[in-house]
Amino acid sequence: MKKTEVIFEEGSHKWYAIVRDPSRPDYLIDTNEYLVTVGDEALLLDPGGSEIFPAVFSAVSAQFDPRKIDRVFASHQDPDIASSLSMWLEFNPELKCYISWLWTSFVPHFGGNKDTFIPIPDQGMDIQLGGVRLQAIPAHYLHSSGNFHLYDPKAKILFSGDVGAALLPPTESGLFVEDFDRHIRHAEGFHKRWMGSDRAKRDWCARVSRLDIQMLCPQHGAIYRGADVGRFIDWFSHLEVGSLGT
Amino acid sequence: MATALAVAGGYQDTGRDAGRELRRIVRINEEIKSIVATAFKINLMAMNAIFLAKRAGQSALGFGVLSNELRRFATDLQRQMGALREAIYSSASTVTEVVKESRVLRILERARRESQGPGRAILDDHLRRRLADREADARQARVNALDRRLRQMLADTTQLVELGSVLARSAKIEAAYGGGFNTALMQVSSDFEQTIAEIQRSLENLARR
Repeated sequence: MKKTEVIFEEGSHKWYAIVRDPSRPDYLIDTNEYLVTVGDEALLLDPGGSEIFPAVFSAVSAQFDPRKIDRVFASHQDPDIASSLSMWLEFNPELKCYISWLWTSFVPHFGGNKDTFIPIPDQGMDIQLGGVRLQAIPAHYLHSSGNFHLYDPKAKILFSGDVGAALLPPTESGLFVEDFDRHIRHAEGFHKRWMGSDRAKRDWCARVSRLDIQMLCPQHGAIYRGADVGRFIDWFSHLEVGSLGT
Repeated sequence: MATALAVAGGYQDTGRDAGRELRRIVRINEEIKSIVATAFKINLMAMNAIFLAKRAGQSALGFGVLSNELRRFATDLQRQMGALREAIYSSASTVTEVVKESRVLRILERARRESQGPGRAILDDHLRRRLADREADARQARVNALDRRLRQMLADTTQLVELGSVLARSAKIEAAYGGGFNTALMQVSSDFEQTIAEIQRSLENLARR
């Protein structure tokens, strides 16, 4: 079963990280899901693949009424991001999914209809959750051609999708990055191979460097916090991406 | 909750059945494709036989009539196969719905097993509502009806091909009266017989699926 950890809390404004599933079959990549709540309103970030839906549902429902999740945010179109959409729609057929406009006619193959999707324009958009204004930050070509991250200026958290992801061995299951140099070795191959555009990478580094970020939360692996956020952005800006890593 | 568990278990069985049905449909479709190709071949063969009978003249009048009948048979067979294909398509889309539905229920049941407290209660309630939903039963009834229709169409096709076989045998007898064209007519009628036997074997395969 997955663990749910509260990573930010200020009044009714909370960020939950739903992480590490030891019972997950080894042929499925491990994913992190995040739930942002403000009062009774909730936004589920990258809800995950349909095969891990049971683990995510049980972890979420231990903290929050899953029927109240009326919105999800999908950073991009991959199956490990959004193929569980049809399962979440079971509990709330009116559920809305924010996703790049590029994918609004592709992702319905996983579930939903024309009313389910809220297209995010290329330049991004604000998403109001309770009294909190979240921002969909462009991260195109990192790795998907229509890709967004989500920034919460109040919590100072950036949900960064596949950027910052690390394919960790089972022995390294901590929620946060504790030793940056040791951790980043598990992220290097992933970023070189999955991230296809050096220009997009530089744009993203410049864009997020202007944000005040306390936590950078990827969809795979551990969360960067404090000084490790800046370290990661600097490391990424110098990394040669779009190569086969030979 | 035992009831919800039983329901989900039932859907898992339905899902497995539907999966088998889908694989059966794919196999039938492949067999139909080979019969359609053979029917097209018979059509061409019959056309050549008609020309041959014309050249043979008076001595191959009977053969000419049978060649015309064989051509009509090939056209009827192609039409019948087209209808079977349409029936297969309808079955495939309905069975796919059943497969999808049973997958959703299998995942819900896994979520129910893994959840505790309010999560489990929500899933129990959801699965109970699924039990009350007759749409799944209606879908299964549609699959059964389509399957019956498919079997009836296969039986009709078998009967049609039996007629083709009789025509091919008669053509062989008529070839014996072909005078100077006797050998050529005999060769053509033997080809008809073999090709129709091929179709019969394919239909027997279909009946076993």
